[in-house]
Amino acid sequence: MANHSQLGFQDASSPIMEELVEFHDHALMVALAICSLVLYLLTLMLMEKLSSNTVDAQEVELIWTILPAIVLVLLALPSLQILYMMDEINEPDLTLKAIGHQWYWTYEYTDFKDLTFDSYMIPSPELPQGHFRLLEVDHRVVIPMESPIRIIVTAGDVLHSWAIPTLGVKTDAIPGRLNQTSFITTRPGIFYGQCSEICGANHSYMPIVVESTPLTHFENWSSLLSS
Amino acid sequence: QSFKLLGFLDVKSVPCARESVLYGSLGSLVVGLGHFLATSRVRRSCDFAVGGFICTMLGYWFYCRYNLAQHRIRQRMLKEGMRNKILFEGSSLDPERKQIGNERSDS
Repeated sequence: MANHSQLGFQDASSPIMEELVEFHDHALMVALAICSLVLYLLTLMLMEKLSSNTVDAQEVELIWTILPAIVLVLLALPSLQILYMMDEINEPDLTLKAIGHQWYWTYEYTDFKDLTFDSYMIPSPELPQGHFRLLEVDHRVVIPMESPIRIIVTAGDVLHSWAIPTLGVKTDAIPGRLNQTSFITTRPGIFYGQCSEICGANHSYMPIVVESTPLTHFENWSSLLSS
Repeated sequence: QSFKLLGFLDVKSVPCARESVLYGSLGSLVVGLGHFLATSRVRRSCDFAVGGFICTMLGYWFYCRYNLAQHRIRQRMLKEGMRNKILFEGSSLDPERKQIGNERSDS
């Protein structure tokens, strides 16, 4: 989860998010170069006397056409690479469904057993000591780590969005539509997210918690829950 | 604590950022000063200094990120190889066992 006053990304917990963070750093470095140039040019212009003697400026026009084109190529190539990487078809080990309601999530694991449960936020007065306010839920989404997971997101009433920043996942939940996304968690842990589409009075109070565990623990959990 | 250049680039936590900015500054100094010593033109030397900063910074950045990407790929391959070695050691799928078997059949 994010720390207080955190501006940057959370640490990546999936390969796609790692790539996105790398691309973000790359884009920021290009932005730094551009900002430095623009600041310098601004300073120069402020020190120059005004003049109306300029008739044509072929060379500078060539430079300020070619240079931005190069910058765009530098940004577009890694961006497209990641875009296609996100759409790669992999064989998921597990498919689960997330259904958004006002104001909770329903999860269905229907691959092997018919396992369905609701996930409500734990209100602050009932929160145990040391737990995170407005982020904890009564039933977490438990998934096996280092396994490709497919998640199908939809909604039962209004628009919602299933988002987990550290996994690089954000998928809109639209009533009457099934949106699919997939991810792999690279390490065990508990990953927090929040509904990311305005959905009413308690939009801020329907968090998402994914618990990534080794496969044995996942099997124990699913057999406990379904029994 | 983070140190953000121009308010957005965190040079402490972004890999290669600190070195890129430092090398860029060095390149800027060298190019700008060198041009001034050669031509005694202040304004043009400043232009060259800024250009040198941008080119050196970006040049080192791409070089460093390319090496970092290769390093990460090697790390992933190593991690996968170590996991496979632990999983398959002693079994029929162990590549080392197959290799030894081939050597014995050759000899």
